[in-house]
Amino acid sequence: MTRALLTLLILAGAMLAVAFGDRPPPRADLTYIDKQPAFTLDPQRVSYEQDIRLVSALYDGLVRWDPYTFDIVPGVAERWSVSRDGTIYVFHLRDNARWSSGEPVVSHDFLYAWRRALMTDTAADYASALFHVRGAEAFFQFRANQLAQYAALPATDRTSARAAALRAEAERVFHETVGLSAPDDRTLIVELHSPTPFFLDLCAFPALFPVHPPSVEADVSLDAATGRLDQRHDWTKPPRLITNGAYMLTSWRFKRDMRLVKNPHYWDEPRVRLRSIDVLVVEDPSTAVLAYQTGGADWLTDVLTDYLPDMLADPDAEVYGHSRFGTYFWSFNCTPTLTGGRPNPFHDARVRRAFAMAIDKRAIVEKVRRVGEETADTLIPPGSIAQYDPDRAVGGAPFDPAGARALLAEAGWVDRTGDSTPENAAGEPFPVVELLCSTGSYHQNVALAMGAMLLEGLGVRTRIVQKESKAYRDDLRRRDFMMARGGWFGDFGDPTTFLDIHATGDGNNDRGYSSAEFDGLLARARAEADPRVRLDLLAEAERLTTERDLPILPIWRYRQFYMFDASRVRGLSEHPRSIQRLDYLWIAGDESGGAP
Amino acid sequence: MTGLILRRLAQAPLILLVIYTVTFLLAWALPGSAVIRDEGRAPPPEVLAAMEARYNLDNPVAFYFGYLRGVVTRFDFGPSLRYPDWTVNEILSGALPVSITLGLAAIVIALFIGSAAGVAGALRPGSALDAFTLTLALVGVSLPTFVIGAALLLVFPVWLGWGRVGAWQDASDALLPAFALSLPFAAYIARLTRMGMIEALDSDYVRTARAKGLPERTVILRHALPNAFLPTLSYLGPAAAAAMTGSFVVEKVFNIPGVGQHFVNGVLNKDLFLIMGVVLVYATILIAMNLVVDVLYRWVDPRIA
Repeated sequence: MTRALLTLLILAGAMLAVAFGDRPPPRADLTYIDKQPAFTLDPQRVSYEQDIRLVSALYDGLVRWDPYTFDIVPGVAERWSVSRDGTIYVFHLRDNARWSSGEPVVSHDFLYAWRRALMTDTAADYASALFHVRGAEAFFQFRANQLAQYAALPATDRTSARAAALRAEAERVFHETVGLSAPDDRTLIVELHSPTPFFLDLCAFPALFPVHPPSVEADVSLDAATGRLDQRHDWTKPPRLITNGAYMLTSWRFKRDMRLVKNPHYWDEPRVRLRSIDVLVVEDPSTAVLAYQTGGADWLTDVLTDYLPDMLADPDAEVYGHSRFGTYFWSFNCTPTLTGGRPNPFHDARVRRAFAMAIDKRAIVEKVRRVGEETADTLIPPGSIAQYDPDRAVGGAPFDPAGARALLAEAGWVDRTGDSTPENAAGEPFPVVELLCSTGSYHQNVALAMGAMLLEGLGVRTRIVQKESKAYRDDLRRRDFMMARGGWFGDFGDPTTFLDIHATGDGNNDRGYSSAEFDGLLARARAEADPRVRLDLLAEAERLTTERDLPILPIWRYRQFYMFDASRVRGLSEHPRSIQRLDYLWIAGDESGGAP
Repeated sequence: MTGLILRRLAQAPLILLVIYTVTFLLAWALPGSAVIRDEGRAPPPEVLAAMEARYNLDNPVAFYFGYLRGVVTRFDFGPSLRYPDWTVNEILSGALPVSITLGLAAIVIALFIGSAAGVAGALRPGSALDAFTLTLALVGVSLPTFVIGAALLLVFPVWLGWGRVGAWQDASDALLPAFALSLPFAAYIARLTRMGMIEALDSDYVRTARAKGLPERTVILRHALPNAFLPTLSYLGPAAAAAMTGSFVVEKVFNIPGVGQHFVNGVLNKDLFLIMGVVLVYATILIAMNLVVDVLYRWVDPRIA
């Protein structure tokens, strides 16, 4: 028995030795902790913040955002020109732009990446970012239809040869109908269907960054059964990943860590100061804080602990917050009926506005959240889009319980029985309002506070419905809710990055809000050539949603909290749109990297 | 012995097929779409439809048989729907060694602590030592691992500066999580051993051994313990399988890249392929561990034929 135990012990020891056989590499210049692992490093498929940050360090677009001002600065394109009517962009690529393999970055690489994004096969979240290009949306539809028709063929007709012919046809249609061309390796011509003042800003968005065609193509195969291109993703992992940005990826272990090292072929290499960066993933918020505090990392990108308010009160805690390009809100279901065909009181905009006026946002921010967020009356954070805001003040629905009650009465909901709950003309009491939120976060506390305010201000009773995020998301999609928590972050520097979610039929319009007036303003803005007039139209559309219709009830502007040693880690931006460019960071005192 | 092994190996595919079918039915019934993410921008509907068609998510029968064929013929557990750059095979081949290492370490620790405490208690039932180990075992069983784990993290790396938080780089990083993971197992083993030992010490063969004048050490270690150990041994099969396929809580608190998180996150994300892969791997390990235990049983106690 003792011998058996001893054998077990030796076995376990040997396992440990094998499991940790290779010595960890020396610590990188900078180590940071993300709350989630990278989902994908395929630029055309990125969507999450941590992925966008990595793609933005690994790849380089035609143009880039300056991380401190969000002005457009040159990237692979050293210069560009725009036609007088604002619809034709000619980009001139620099001759020293290189992939990490040493090959030159050519205009065709962009064409290839953008065509990928527009093929439904790729499942690109941001395919619609390219719909401003002439013919792009039609091509996207063409490919979707092409595949749908193919799938309807009898199985015997669906052959590899036929699928290949389909692909060849799609590529031909792309080159003939989409307003993109590459007359030579260093020129890219983009033709838009209407002037799009923020098109350069879109070009700086990582979903429009190029990919290295030979390495992607090596993982593409044709699926004869469906006719679509099948994409394996071995090419996004080292040593196969070839990138054209400031960094290259030398190791990636799933949900564990990544190492980035400086790309010697990057055209702006002398500017890059950190030679290596380690990215760790710690999903548990408290463990992440402890890991930072015990020296496991130099920077924690998201502090999400429940005890954040206490940390903020401690001047030595090294926690820093800054306002973001996003808003926390609650959605109203704006459709005429609720699940089961019941009439929906929130179909009446006055009811929505009354609810908004009964909520004391300041109290929620100061007493529930306690982390210093600014209250929000608009979806677009004020001051976050430089050319939009000046003298276009957009208001909201002020906290005013008496006004809220009057407005609710105007909508027909008055307390007729003296039980403090409002009834309609038929004597039916206001239905118990279900507040739908996902589990595992602060939403429940916010919902509790809102419930108390609605009861006190309007006499309306509420019930909190908490669901796992999949089920919550599904309820939203099916519009099976009355009020639900929501949030939105902007992607590019134009009001439409926010306003589009209120458009009829938009994929992110969870509320089912539909206003011909609002849609008409967006359409007029799209067709407007004068940028100033265009922004005025958008401001009018925004005002419609924040002052009159209120499909959402904005509560606060998101704030992000970092932990880092401010005397060492330098270069982090406080710009609301910044998710940080790693190639602009440096460690104080370590001047060996490159010039500032 | 060979007959038993062959019989079990022949049963295994059937058991796995049943488990696969039940898992498939449950996973398919999960609410929500497998391709729509919880947060962020919704991709165009054409893109979602393309993804559903690509993975047979619009056709449960094709999905069931297609996936089964992939697993059986190519040992391919499919792509992760949540992490598009990774396949389930890649995810599991990275996570399994971690979980097996940690699980084995935990089981070894649990065996040492558990059997020592059990024997110590059984030698003097009702003594202070017995009461102490029983209480400890009760605490070990009832205290949730996230409390023990967080306490261990606070005491060792944070206050004493021993070890690191959230790292999985060398063997020392495995100590605290293995200890935290071992405690519930150790507590259970202690109670099983104590029970078995008290019974064995009261038996005829131990009285005979003592009557022969054997030293007490030999009586306990050679005669009583092997018999007292049988219940523990049969518990070790499922315990080892459970420990080696990871614990969600321990993995979360100590940030360990093991399999346990995928059980929970796979379901939360409705990552169908990952759920199926993880369950099939767990079932296989469970079947294998039970077989090992049955073989060991015969080796320890030849009376069981």
